[in-house]
Amino acid sequence: MTARLLAGLSATVLLPAVLLLLPLLNVAPNRLVTGAPVMAADALGAWLWPAVALAALGPGLLAASRGRTAAGLAGFACLGAFALLLAGLGADATDLIAGKPFPTRARLASGAWAGGFVLIVTLAVAARRTRLPGGGVTAAAVVAGAIECLWMAGALDALSLAVELRARSDTLGAAIGEHLVLALGALLLAAGLTGGLALWRRGRGVVELTVSGVQVVPAVALLGALVAAVSALLSAAPLLRGYGLSALGSAPAVTGIAAYLLLPLWRGQQAARRAAGPGQHDAARALGLTRRQILVTIRLPLGAPDLLGGLRVAAVQALGLATLGALVGAGGLGTLVFDGMAQFAPDLILLGALPVILLSLTVEAALGRLEAALRRRWPR
Amino acid sequence: MRRIPPGLGPLLLGLGLAVASHPAVAALFGHEGASRPLTVGRLAELALNHVTLAATGLAVVTLLGVGLGLVATRARFAPFRGSIDTLAAFAQAVPPVVVVALALPVLGFGGPPTLLALTAYGIMPTLRGTVGALDAVSVEARQSAQAIGLTPAQILAYVELPLAAPGLIETLRTALILAVSVTAVGALAGASTLGTPIVAGLQNQNIAAMFQGALATAALAFLGDGLLLAIGGWLQPDHCLEAV
Repeated sequence: MTARLLAGLSATVLLPAVLLLLPLLNVAPNRLVTGAPVMAADALGAWLWPAVALAALGPGLLAASRGRTAAGLAGFACLGAFALLLAGLGADATDLIAGKPFPTRARLASGAWAGGFVLIVTLAVAARRTRLPGGGVTAAAVVAGAIECLWMAGALDALSLAVELRARSDTLGAAIGEHLVLALGALLLAAGLTGGLALWRRGRGVVELTVSGVQVVPAVALLGALVAAVSALLSAAPLLRGYGLSALGSAPAVTGIAAYLLLPLWRGQQAARRAAGPGQHDAARALGLTRRQILVTIRLPLGAPDLLGGLRVAAVQALGLATLGALVGAGGLGTLVFDGMAQFAPDLILLGALPVILLSLTVEAALGRLEAALRRRWPR
Repeated sequence: MRRIPPGLGPLLLGLGLAVASHPAVAALFGHEGASRPLTVGRLAELALNHVTLAATGLAVVTLLGVGLGLVATRARFAPFRGSIDTLAAFAQAVPPVVVVALALPVLGFGGPPTLLALTAYGIMPTLRGTVGALDAVSVEARQSAQAIGLTPAQILAYVELPLAAPGLIETLRTALILAVSVTAVGALAGASTLGTPIVAGLQNQNIAAMFQGALATAALAFLGDGLLLAIGGWLQPDHCLEAV
């Protein structure tokens, strides 16, 4: 009992400490410098105590009690704290840059990022602990809705990330599209290759060795070697240029990314192949099922979760690796990240990085859920 | 027939790639105007930097990952075990390039953002691998150790760790490959590693240097992997029995 009380107390103190001790905003004269920190008392004003109180209540409740009602209340407290924090910071950013020269930026600082992160994680834990069906999805939708509402109301317009987004909204849309095309293209290529390789029964050992050997090669090196090899080939046989072969662009990127996706897809496929045991095979054959019927009614349903598991790992890797595609001129969200790194502009880096993280997390969560649902539908 | 010693394949492949990154070999490729191969001295300097950074990162990741894994597998922390896999899966959703990029404004150019990315990206797989390796130790082995009166610390040192050694070596292999790979990405943040000639070569069309960097980075990864595989083979239980 004392242990639980202590855990509750320390969890209660965590978020207020983060929010009060770390700077919440940075005000900089332009988009390239870090600027001067603004602490919570100045940044949040009248919003401060409600936000801090809710931020203390959520994790505290969650740590002190394991009940479902407490978890629900904690979830609402976290949501409220998150919305208040965001709205307060947006309002203060507006005040801070009002009357200042145009390039002045009010940027979210360490305290705001750390606080927001802890709030979201707490919310996720709370949503899971309520054990309501679809709790996690609802919580994610409510957070997205809250951000959307604040955005539509113009409450966030003064924050530096929003300023950067307005300056590059069309580039961002195009980059997300390119990123998805790169990842999906690589995934399709790798899936096709894995399917083809599976038909070559004799070479299973060789395939396994090659596919895991590729994983050892660092991605930057593989992409560089691909580009170098193709340009050496082109300088040796310039005729190939006429067929549209070029050393830079999406071709080397898709090939390079696909090479890394072979291992998870191959592993998933091999696990799926072994999913139906000899007993199930014998029973099916004794019932007089044909090979085709065995495949459709027994092997595919039993192997589906393993296949999907491989696909999930591969898809998340593809989205991450596609960021490196910008290195070889294939576009994608990496363009924004690398431009931001070259200019040392934190907002631009974030503008490229946040969509990558969100896309990967969404794919991971969605395919993970599907995999779990399939496992429940066809238990071994 | 004697078995081929484990790790020989990657070691030979690594040596071959290292030889191929020699300027004399690289000069055969891409003899267009902009290609200037790096000298052996420069390549060695970059390789040394790469090894130092990757080894530092690997040491931090091993200490934290394996240490946390040991803590998480104690009976007292059983309730937290379920969340490790979920956390690890979500931590992998943030690619190393993005971690390097996000650390850049905070830590500046060079080694520090690379080290941070290495640590942030490497800990969860190492933690999960350690937990998996220790979980694979059979309950019977633990219980019999308890029955003959060993203390928990003795059980860990004499039973759990030796039995989990192959799994731990596998985990370290993953961590090592990640370390070499993330260090190469660190070139984007201005760290001077074997990724530097690749990134610079892509920008100024220096095909020969790009080739050298790529081959040398891959060579380093294969050599490290082969070394760990050889150590793992040497630690195999049957080998130890033969030695006794």
